[in-house]
Amino acid sequence: MKTPNPIDLAPASAPEDEMYYLNMGPQHPSMHGVLRLLLKLHGEEIITAEPVIGYAHRAHEKMAENRSYIMFLPNTSRVDYLSGMIYNLAYCEAMEKILDIEVPERAQYIRTIANELNRISSHLLWFGTFLLDLGGVTPFLYCFDDREEILEVLDRVTGSRLTYSYGRFGGVTMDVDDAFLDGARAVLKRIRERIPMYLSLVHDNVIFRERCDGVGVMTGDLLRKYGITGPPLRAAGVAYDVRRAEPYGIYDRFDFEIPTRTAGDCMARFEVRVDEMEQSCRIVEQAIEGLPEGPIMPGRMKKRFKPPKGEFYFAVESARGHFGMYIVSDGTDNPSRIKLRTPSFSNLSSMPEVLRGTFVADTIAIVGSIDVVLPEIDR
Amino acid sequence: MPKTLAEMLGSPMLAVATGLGGVMGLLSFNALFCIYLERKISAWIQRRMGPMEVGFHGMLQTVADMVKLLGKQLITPKGIDKPLYHLAPLVVFAPVVAGTSLMAFSGSFALHHIDLGLVLVFTFGGFAVLGIFMAGWGSNNKYALLGAMRSVAQNISYEIPLLLSALSVVMLTTSMGRTVTVGDETVAVQGLNLFHITMVQMDRNVWFIVLQPVAAILFFIAVLAETNRAPFDIPEAESELVAGFHTEYSGMRFALFFFGEYSNMLIGCMVATTLFFGGWSGPLLPGPVWFFLKSYALMAVMMWVRWTYPRLRFDQLMRFCWMVMIPLSIVNLLVTAFFLKVF
Amino acid sequence: MTHEAPKDTVAPALDGLTTSSEPSDPAKDGFHVRHVATADRVVELARRFDEAGYFLEMITAEDRRGDLEAMRLVYTYNRYGEADRHLVLVDLSSEIPGASAPSCVPVFPAADWFEREVFDMYGITFDGHPDLKRILLPDDADFHALLKDFGRIEDAPPEEDPPERELTV
Repeated sequence: MKTPNPIDLAPASAPEDEMYYLNMGPQHPSMHGVLRLLLKLHGEEIITAEPVIGYAHRAHEKMAENRSYIMFLPNTSRVDYLSGMIYNLAYCEAMEKILDIEVPERAQYIRTIANELNRISSHLLWFGTFLLDLGGVTPFLYCFDDREEILEVLDRVTGSRLTYSYGRFGGVTMDVDDAFLDGARAVLKRIRERIPMYLSLVHDNVIFRERCDGVGVMTGDLLRKYGITGPPLRAAGVAYDVRRAEPYGIYDRFDFEIPTRTAGDCMARFEVRVDEMEQSCRIVEQAIEGLPEGPIMPGRMKKRFKPPKGEFYFAVESARGHFGMYIVSDGTDNPSRIKLRTPSFSNLSSMPEVLRGTFVADTIAIVGSIDVVLPEIDR
Repeated sequence: MPKTLAEMLGSPMLAVATGLGGVMGLLSFNALFCIYLERKISAWIQRRMGPMEVGFHGMLQTVADMVKLLGKQLITPKGIDKPLYHLAPLVVFAPVVAGTSLMAFSGSFALHHIDLGLVLVFTFGGFAVLGIFMAGWGSNNKYALLGAMRSVAQNISYEIPLLLSALSVVMLTTSMGRTVTVGDETVAVQGLNLFHITMVQMDRNVWFIVLQPVAAILFFIAVLAETNRAPFDIPEAESELVAGFHTEYSGMRFALFFFGEYSNMLIGCMVATTLFFGGWSGPLLPGPVWFFLKSYALMAVMMWVRWTYPRLRFDQLMRFCWMVMIPLSIVNLLVTAFFLKVF
Repeated sequence: MTHEAPKDTVAPALDGLTTSSEPSDPAKDGFHVRHVATADRVVELARRFDEAGYFLEMITAEDRRGDLEAMRLVYTYNRYGEADRHLVLVDLSSEIPGASAPSCVPVFPAADWFEREVFDMYGITFDGHPDLKRILLPDDADFHALLKDFGRIEDAPPEEDPPERELTV
């Protein structure tokens, strides 16, 4: 029973007075925070869709201009509270590059472990909420169970569960101990065991396939025109991952693959993320294996940093795609401008085109499958 | 033959009063028990404990919730269609009481004994969609309207396989014997009489699920859809339509919808028990115990399904009905008719 | 131009479109090439990058009225694959409102939201944008939040203890 593309079923021209507007959000059970979709509908078919954002705008970029470089550190992980570690460490690495600070080996490895564990936890949460959007409640609780283990491990060394402020210019705040490494190994073992179970429970389910196969196809030029990055891009066959394209930290030392699919639909995005969890497990394993002894910070830390004048750009691969920081320094210890180029912002901006002609139920699946985090979009 | 309540009590008025009280009591207990069961089953499936605090293993949790719902303020939104909005919960709830009173709980006792019992049950079942549409239309809310529109299309579509699969059982009942002997009594079989359907199964020592497995599966799926249970819960799909047709209802009005949903589930399962699982028949234990055991076992399966599957999309749901369920049930009916004619 | 694009890439043909183009050290600042251009060339530049298979990574702006007496637009283009990041700096007039540039939306739809954000935060307008309105700040806001003369920490009123409120039951 192959579902025909809903676009084929759409009436060529629906009379204007049969259409109506539906405000989905900002308070809606599956708008992932405070997204508002202004849908123009004909029955249940979407004529136009306009995402309205800004409900979680906290002016991080303005805050950056009003404080010193180091004071901006805690803000970074609040940009995306689901993979805060990656954003936090990205800022540290950007500043290290600008200030020319050498990071000790051990700190580099610890950062990689923390980054990838955080990526797995973010993907696990996405897995649960995506199934919740499709109406399956049970996977949500299984995933939260697993994610809790990861948060516990990270909590042990960083002292926080979501909004980490673990990085410092030059290293990390606290050294890891054996209990952390054992915990990380146990998490990997557990995730490895559970992923096949998730797949057999979810992936082969006929209803799940019906809901995902061929739904929300994003392929070809659309991706490039909208600057889409991350799993939605890789699900369409483009093996672009910042960890490979411009390696940062010590990612060039690890052996991992960039999972891709070609279909570009919700199912492909689902599969790519599941595979990415597996690849992250591999990276963490190698990093634990190669973790050297040594300091975690380079000598004494300065209190004030005055980077040279100029413009700088630093990109990392967050759990959602290409996260870039454009930093402008005027030579003082306050940044003149920090622009956060967040992946969900660009990914979401393609929605008017992707959602056109789909059904209300697909909207939920598609917006869920690109994994938007609204605080990251609104900044 | 079962004695009706009126015969036992000697007064029709007294019978109506006790019958109504009994059915209301049963349905109230059912709602409380089902919510508890649903929570526990979902918890076990999700490796949680479920309610544990109020009473032994949280048994009084639903009672506490009901008291809370009773005490809640009834919020009436602006711009509603007042008669429809206020009538809707009653229209959902009242037919449920009528439907339950027709059930064949036991061989020796009945609230009503009507030869057209099955037809009446389906008739009362058909009222639910009316109430849902009234709620959706009267609420003046787009989510509610969308939910109501989905509900109407879904319920009307799934009634066809529901009736067709029940019909094949009715054909079987009337063809397997013109008369049935229970105890020292012999009665002429009426195919639409719920008591007779059970008696034929007892008499021939076979459950109809053995003879009509396809119809049983179709019937169960159709019941899932008719009662808006997952994976067919699209009229109230909470991740899409917030709460669907009952978005604008609060407090006791919302509770009545909930009540109606669980009562409809119970009726669906009771009819399925009668049609396919031999009704009250069973060894040792008294008839009504068997009857409710079988019904609640089916309920548990419905809950199991709900917490396992994601939700279908609307067009897929309709396609499944019209392209799979209805053709299959028609074929099943024809095959049944063919075999009955030949053998 | 001494910069060479990575292998299997068509280098964008930008000759004559930019005021200056210099290769840069990506290990230091993340950019492979820095361009300076004038506002009227912005769309043509975007088209050249589009033809070469690049994507629009971001558009943002800087309030450089303090040192350069100009509002500055910043475009970065990159490609999927080995990084080749082009930075395009465009200086506009320092008048707010008044500073404006042509819109890149016809070439890159991605520019839609980026340009709206720049308008929202800086008040720079984009000619030819299909629907230029605020995106992050409230629709009825009467300020542009990232201008340097808005919301400076020095201008904040001295913090006072909130007046004690009487509890009413």
